[in-house]
Amino acid sequence: MSQTNSDHVEDHTDVPSDPALRVKALESLLVEKGLVDPAALDVLVDAFENKVGPRNGAQVVARAWMDSDYKQRLLDDGTTAIAEFGYSGGQGEKLTVLENTSSVHNVIVCTLCSCYPWPVLGLPPVWYKSFAFRSRTVIDPRGVLSEMGLDLPSDVDVRVWDSNAASRYFVLPERPEGTESLSETDLAALVTRDSMIGVAKVAVPSVGGVA
Amino acid sequence: MNGIHDMGGMQGLGEIGYRENDTGFHEAWEARLFALVRALRTGSLRTGIEGIPAPDYLRMGYYERWYTAFVARIVERGIVTSAEVDSGRAEPASAKATPALTPETASEYLSITPKEERDIELAPRFRVGESVLGRNMNPTTHTRMPRYTRGKTGVVERDRGIFNLPDSELSSGEPKPQHVYLVRFTGQELWGDAAPANDSVYIDLWEDYLEPA
Repeated sequence: MSQTNSDHVEDHTDVPSDPALRVKALESLLVEKGLVDPAALDVLVDAFENKVGPRNGAQVVARAWMDSDYKQRLLDDGTTAIAEFGYSGGQGEKLTVLENTSSVHNVIVCTLCSCYPWPVLGLPPVWYKSFAFRSRTVIDPRGVLSEMGLDLPSDVDVRVWDSNAASRYFVLPERPEGTESLSETDLAALVTRDSMIGVAKVAVPSVGGVA
Repeated sequence: MNGIHDMGGMQGLGEIGYRENDTGFHEAWEARLFALVRALRTGSLRTGIEGIPAPDYLRMGYYERWYTAFVARIVERGIVTSAEVDSGRAEPASAKATPALTPETASEYLSITPKEERDIELAPRFRVGESVLGRNMNPTTHTRMPRYTRGKTGVVERDRGIFNLPDSELSSGEPKPQHVYLVRFTGQELWGDAAPANDSVYIDLWEDYLEPA
């Protein structure tokens, strides 16, 4: 890359040249001004990286697979049924649970930004925020899902849920065949984050049980 | 605003970049910035992000857009000055605050649900099962009505309750509470006859975004 145009480097101050340095400088400024406590930031980062995440949602799914009364409560009022596990807040208010079956497939998206059911799934994966996923999922859901490795038969109804308002969505994936003897804990271990977004199915466990 | 953020239905915007075990942050600074934004509680950055000129919006990464909108917000509110952001140092005469969020309160803060729904009585204009038309409107300010729903006919599936209209909240400052409806549009209504007959899109729309069909 040419270095001869160094006079023009300052023309692009609206885009952080090195975001890591800019954010570090911003944090030290806010700490110096007494506006943030770095230890409180550590707690938030740890919570979002390690505590609030798709394992929460997987427990909810496994419970619904085991307990038909719970499943009904979940489908009737997702917010209240999920609160039974102690998960609420963040962006999770007004949670609607969508059941995937052999004839109906639901997938969630946010075309305008990155709305996502945080309390049950944690932070959205980077691809969920990609321009391609945001733009194309509403117009070509089957094509998008196929590119992601999920080919749906043409007789399956596809329902796309655009999370643009106060509702957040969460997919209850289909329980795979051959899991009748598994415990709730083992079932939860099978449930992937992507199956709860609706871009994947829960795979049948390999012979020999859950790894 | 008919901005670049309103992407639903566009094509040619690159790759999805799907990875099965993808995470929310790819770099440590993204997590740090996320925490800073949460800790300062300066409210939603949506309008700031939507205001980033399209060429920059497309060039920036997700958290670069957050950075840009966050810095603009805290400068605008007088929390910091542009000079301080550039230097990374506080101006010597500036006041020293006490952090609002401590390690102890940070974990409680995670479970606080901001209540958006309004507890008021208001007669709904539309009923479940009724056909509705997405209003043809093109405001130059914030809206949560994507372009792809405008001028299209759908069916009310559910009444979500009463919420403030985000458009008026952010432009005039006057709350305008109204019913929000879950509306189902068929893929063929939105995208034409080539769309599969059994595809549909569900989206929540405020009452002011709709007209009787």
